[in-house]
Amino acid sequence: MTESNPRESRAPHNASDPGAATDTTRRAALVTLFAGIAAIALGYAAAFGPHGTPTWAPWLLALGIPAALGAIMILGATRGGRGVGRLKIPFAFVILMLVIGFGAALALPATEGPLSKLWLGLPARAAIVIYGIGLVPIFVLPVAYALTFETQTLSAEDLERVRKLARERVGE
Amino acid sequence: MIWGVGVSALLQAALPNAARPAVVSVGILYFAVVLGISIWAARRTNTARDFFVAGKGIGLIALTVASVSVSVSGFAFIGGPGFIYAVGLGAMYIVLPAAVTNVMGAWVLAKRMRLLGEARALITIPDAIGARYRSRGAQGLSAVAILVGIVGYMATNALAMGVVINSIFGVGLGWGIWIGMGVTLAYSASGGILAGIYNDVFQGTLMAVASVLVFLFVLNFGGGLGEISRTILAHDPPFLGPWGRLTPLAALSFFFVFSMGSLGQPQAVHKYYMLRDPLQLKWYPLLKTLGLVLVLLLYFSVGVGVKAFVLSGRLAPLASPDQATPALLLNVTPMLLAALVFSGVAAATMSAANSFINIGAAIVTHDLPIAFGRRVKNELRWGRTVTVFIAIAAAITAQRSGTMVAFLGIFGWGLFASTLVPALAVGLNWQGATRAGAVASIATGLIITLALETAAYLKVFSFPAGVTASAVAMVASFLVFFIVSWLTRRSAPAQLDPDVKLVMEL
Repeated sequence: MTESNPRESRAPHNASDPGAATDTTRRAALVTLFAGIAAIALGYAAAFGPHGTPTWAPWLLALGIPAALGAIMILGATRGGRGVGRLKIPFAFVILMLVIGFGAALALPATEGPLSKLWLGLPARAAIVIYGIGLVPIFVLPVAYALTFETQTLSAEDLERVRKLARERVGE
Repeated sequence: MIWGVGVSALLQAALPNAARPAVVSVGILYFAVVLGISIWAARRTNTARDFFVAGKGIGLIALTVASVSVSVSGFAFIGGPGFIYAVGLGAMYIVLPAAVTNVMGAWVLAKRMRLLGEARALITIPDAIGARYRSRGAQGLSAVAILVGIVGYMATNALAMGVVINSIFGVGLGWGIWIGMGVTLAYSASGGILAGIYNDVFQGTLMAVASVLVFLFVLNFGGGLGEISRTILAHDPPFLGPWGRLTPLAALSFFFVFSMGSLGQPQAVHKYYMLRDPLQLKWYPLLKTLGLVLVLLLYFSVGVGVKAFVLSGRLAPLASPDQATPALLLNVTPMLLAALVFSGVAAATMSAANSFINIGAAIVTHDLPIAFGRRVKNELRWGRTVTVFIAIAAAITAQRSGTMVAFLGIFGWGLFASTLVPALAVGLNWQGATRAGAVASIATGLIITLALETAAYLKVFSFPAGVTASAVAMVASFLVFFIVSWLTRRSAPAQLDPDVKLVMEL
């Protein structure tokens, strides 16, 4: 196996810094993704300590996971230098839902018992997790994706640009 | 989405003999429909592109249902409810990510992969990695990683099919394996992914219908979710705690691996190439998420419902947690509903097997030759040949050692996640990612996953509670990807072709 394909030798080399094309949103998303993954790594590393898993280790995952997931979604949704536009609201909402859901499960006292008040059929902490993390995002993110699709994700013009470039490439 | 733990849990389920007239009749009807779809698809498969990515593409609804079908396995119907029964709501962290994974995949991968397919006529995931980094090495290494994962998945899947078919028809495990793999092979080799997709549509619909009916039945039988919860809270309050009996670290690890890891699952990601009109991606995440929720209703309702029924004495105590679904079906639900669910489980294992056979065949006939600078002349013919070989090898392996086969299936999900997510998902969205970073990340994921899973299997090394090999490998792969890309950042611009750059900027 070689490290480059035959196209490499005749492909134009762009001498510019790749970071120059990276707008602030992408840069922030990348930094957040790295920080989120690093927090998760630290949480795991802490579990290997001689005294077992410290109480703060799950908090690193509870914060790192929403940060990493939010960051990679923002990275994917960012277009050129235009950032994520109106999507920042649903993204912020869902990241917050995840943080609140995990945080509530960690922070609230365990009061489940025969007399527990039920929220939609489940005790409070379970309801926050199941409905807040497992159901609410369904009605936010996919709908936001569909509503912003033409402006933020893909338009007929975008598609035509790619097809035109593909035709030119075949014609080379 | 929940493939990784799926097959191994299904293997341990040791399903009871369910061969009642209704179950056998519905099972025969199910196989007859699969056969009919396969014959139809075989007549429409004429080229390698037809075989591997369904030629000119698939419509939105069909692709969505098919994608739902391959995203779950028998685990959603058997092992998953049993897992909830055993550990409580902590088991939900495997399926809760479904609320975000599909739309995350759409933003991060779907558009760029579909457009790359448009620009380069790509047909595999290693193709996309090769195009992104202009590297046959990265393409070849990712192909090897996927192939290693598929070897395990196929063997476990063949055994899972044997377990289910034996349960439905009472033919014995050995015959169950050959019948299941034979039927899957017949439609995989003749109709390729086209047969797979339309069988997936049928199978996914069957799974969704069965899941919704069981969900409604359990709620009705238990007097509503509130009554079910009250029964459990009176006997076993921690079961309905937010982590169940898992540690917070373990539950959160499940969420991390099954959310971020979803971006590297080839059986789902591969589907992005197949959508006929890229503009139809608009509704894909919403429809797929809703479909997944329907299929996963059984997972939650049976796990929680059976726990309440056993605690209240309405159902005899289970011999093992994995008996939750079979015990409910064979003792409580109408037999026709039981028959639907058993056929649904067969459908789940077969749709996943077909998908992996197809991806494996593409790797052997397409990606690996490209990595070595060669092209196979007749990819369609060789694709069919390799399909037969993979299926037979999987069936033979499945006959040999259940323990070894179960082990092979365990690391599949984690291997795909740790080897593909950084290089593919981040790489397609970050122009600063480099070939060296991608190769180092794929190699890191491959080595760490295999080493840690093997060490854990051989009991040479055990993880602290809540830490899994998959999660450690994925985290390490991410960090290596970022660090090596940063160290080699000067080479990044030269590794992007103009069309790939355009796709990444849109």
